[in-house]
Amino acid sequence: MEKSKWPPGDLVIWIFIMAELLVFGIFFAAYAFTRANHVELFNTYQATLDRNAALINTLALITSSYFVVRAVAAIKMDDSRKCFQWLLAALFMGLVFLLVKGIEYQHHFSQGISLSTNTFYMFYLSMTFFHFLHVILGMVILIAVALKARAGGYSARQHDGVETGASYWHMVDLVWMVLFPLVYVMN
Amino acid sequence: MAQAFTKAMARNIFYGGTVFFFLVLLALTFQTHREWPELDNRQAINDVVTLGKKVWEDNNCVGCHSLLGEGAYFAPELGNVYTRLGSVEAIKGFIMSRPKEGIPGRRSMPQFNLSEEELTAIAEFLKYVAGINTAGWPPNIKG
Amino acid sequence: MKYQSQKVAKLYFIAAIGLFVGQILFGLIMGMQYVVGDFLFPEIPFNVARMVHTNLLIVWLLFGFMGASYYLVPEEAETELFAPWLAHLMFWVFLAAGAATILAYLLVPYAALAELTMNDLLPTMGREFLEQPTITKIGIVIVVLAFLFNIGMTILKGRKTVVNLVLLMGLTGLAVFFLFAFYNPTNLVMDKYYWWWVVHLWVEGVWELILGSILAFILIKTTGVDREVIEKWLYIIIAMTLITGIVGMGHHYYWIGAPEFWQWWGSIFSALEPIPFFMMTVYAFNMVNKRRRNHPNKAAVLWALGTAVMAFLGAGVWGFLHTLAPVNYYTHGTQITAAHGHMAFYGAYVMIVLGMISYSMPLMRGRELCNSARSQSLEMWSFWLMTISMVFITLFLTAAGILQVYLQRFSDNPMDFMVVQDKIALFYWLREITGVIFLIGLIVYIASFFIGQDEPEATVEPLK
Repeated sequence: MEKSKWPPGDLVIWIFIMAELLVFGIFFAAYAFTRANHVELFNTYQATLDRNAALINTLALITSSYFVVRAVAAIKMDDSRKCFQWLLAALFMGLVFLLVKGIEYQHHFSQGISLSTNTFYMFYLSMTFFHFLHVILGMVILIAVALKARAGGYSARQHDGVETGASYWHMVDLVWMVLFPLVYVMN
Repeated sequence: MAQAFTKAMARNIFYGGTVFFFLVLLALTFQTHREWPELDNRQAINDVVTLGKKVWEDNNCVGCHSLLGEGAYFAPELGNVYTRLGSVEAIKGFIMSRPKEGIPGRRSMPQFNLSEEELTAIAEFLKYVAGINTAGWPPNIKG
Repeated sequence: MKYQSQKVAKLYFIAAIGLFVGQILFGLIMGMQYVVGDFLFPEIPFNVARMVHTNLLIVWLLFGFMGASYYLVPEEAETELFAPWLAHLMFWVFLAAGAATILAYLLVPYAALAELTMNDLLPTMGREFLEQPTITKIGIVIVVLAFLFNIGMTILKGRKTVVNLVLLMGLTGLAVFFLFAFYNPTNLVMDKYYWWWVVHLWVEGVWELILGSILAFILIKTTGVDREVIEKWLYIIIAMTLITGIVGMGHHYYWIGAPEFWQWWGSIFSALEPIPFFMMTVYAFNMVNKRRRNHPNKAAVLWALGTAVMAFLGAGVWGFLHTLAPVNYYTHGTQITAAHGHMAFYGAYVMIVLGMISYSMPLMRGRELCNSARSQSLEMWSFWLMTISMVFITLFLTAAGILQVYLQRFSDNPMDFMVVQDKIALFYWLREITGVIFLIGLIVYIASFFIGQDEPEATVEPLK
């Protein structure tokens, strides 16, 4: 049995993660480039965002990532039940993220803000919405992994699936770690 | 480490990715529909314009011309022809004046023998198209 | 050939090649009209020649895809075709409908055809690539549905391989997205927006699934590489294709009255569209390098590698050249688009169909593995003649396009469209001459089916 294989999980997910990071990377670069040309506009409208909500969401994702780490650790100890419980906890934090972000969107939309309001909102809504969908996708993956874990589908010897799902979830978390300072804080 | 790369996972990513990005497309399409009333000059659409689009299609104009940059590249862009020629009358005059036997050695638009009603309709259609918000395209009046 | 019913593919391939010849002839007519404006005027106006050129392309590629499916699906499913008689029947229906439509284009003025086929009832005609009378479109739907039924039932009763499933998904997508051809509102912006759901989601979406599965089949057969490996990569490549290509459709929405956010979404995603094509190139070469045996049908392997390279160049590189919104602002609707269209269609779809014909036709004509060395050598000559011609056609059109953009849109004193056309005529002449060489290549290709047929099969040294 191989002890510390790298990268963890299925290699295919890493190809996918690289592709996703590439897309987000281009989005970020485009944001930075455009911002450099419209600093005033970006600063003005950045001030309309709810930083506290974003901070809560940052903490929610970091916590959920930690829970996922615990889930992987649990399955390595052959503890399917613990693994399932940690994944549930992670999913709960994901739900918190969706809820908070949803309230933020509700607020924007009630003010009639859309992708075409101005360049700042175009980027802000595009990037956060694209990320929002990734959180949903990540949760779908975690749900699938959790269900399989509960059914005893993983073990200390064979838990590629858990690591694969965990890797994807960390990617979703990581992207937010860049998004949050870039879009909400930096000015 | 070849076994760390499974067909099942590749398959899941194919299905998941496809569904995911199709949903993204649908979301963006939904937003596009919401914004169209401001952009697509729909208030200019009436029965004459509808007939004009039909005349445009029934004579396969797009087989030589481009319209908003799409179509054939054999003859001038017509998305902005109303702006270029300046009036409905000028467009009608141009279409009517095409020689039946063409121009020796040169490209020439066929004579379509359109009725007065059809001529007005196609010109009004092109006027409607010129009013669409195309994000500043084409770069200049030449199309 | 393992199953008797695979042989129905032969009919489809013969029709495909015949229509291919017609497509090239009309391409040459159009190329001539670009430089000698009154060539064949008013008997065959440019728009008619173009309609015939593009519609023949689509129809013969569809014949090719269907033929390829009828050949490979029974072999993969390890069972006879569900209903060979239906495949025969649909062949003649499709051929008759296609021929009648093309003849009608040539013999009747388009407006009269529209009236004759009652376009008023459900106007769908007169849009680029969708010029077919509504009745023909309905015919296409019926033929494709019958075809899908036949293929689907065959897969259902046999072994379900990845190659078959991906092919079936591609073909189903082809049928589903074609339905948008029947949506034609007066609102031009909406018309164009959903027109692309046929055109883009075909050529930059589901057709790539068809391409991928046919290529995988040829690679499995000719390299002897483990099916698991090839199928795994097939999944990854088509996943990347759809991940980038679906939202990549936004690169068509920059200037047609859609919201401006499409400039960002379209640019970002379509900029990544070359990645799956690049992966496909690497994968095809990798599989051939890792081959477990030397296949004597060298021509088929050449087409398979050729399509991987040319699809990357034509669709990937030439597509990327003008896909970013700030660049596309100047290049949209110029000869640059034509350049890209030519090489992409040839590289991705013409070559894969010719590759499949190359692999399967000798087997359907009673050979064990491949044609004679002489016949293959001719075929490989035709490969190079056509491929190099297409590269030069693309280069000349690109040169014409760059000049057109500069003179008509970029310079300080922009010129009228027709003035610019005269100034770049040299490149149109060069394109036309290269087109003639392409035709010669095609004639050589057809000759390869007749020359060397009585000679023994080519052999290769076994792999050590």
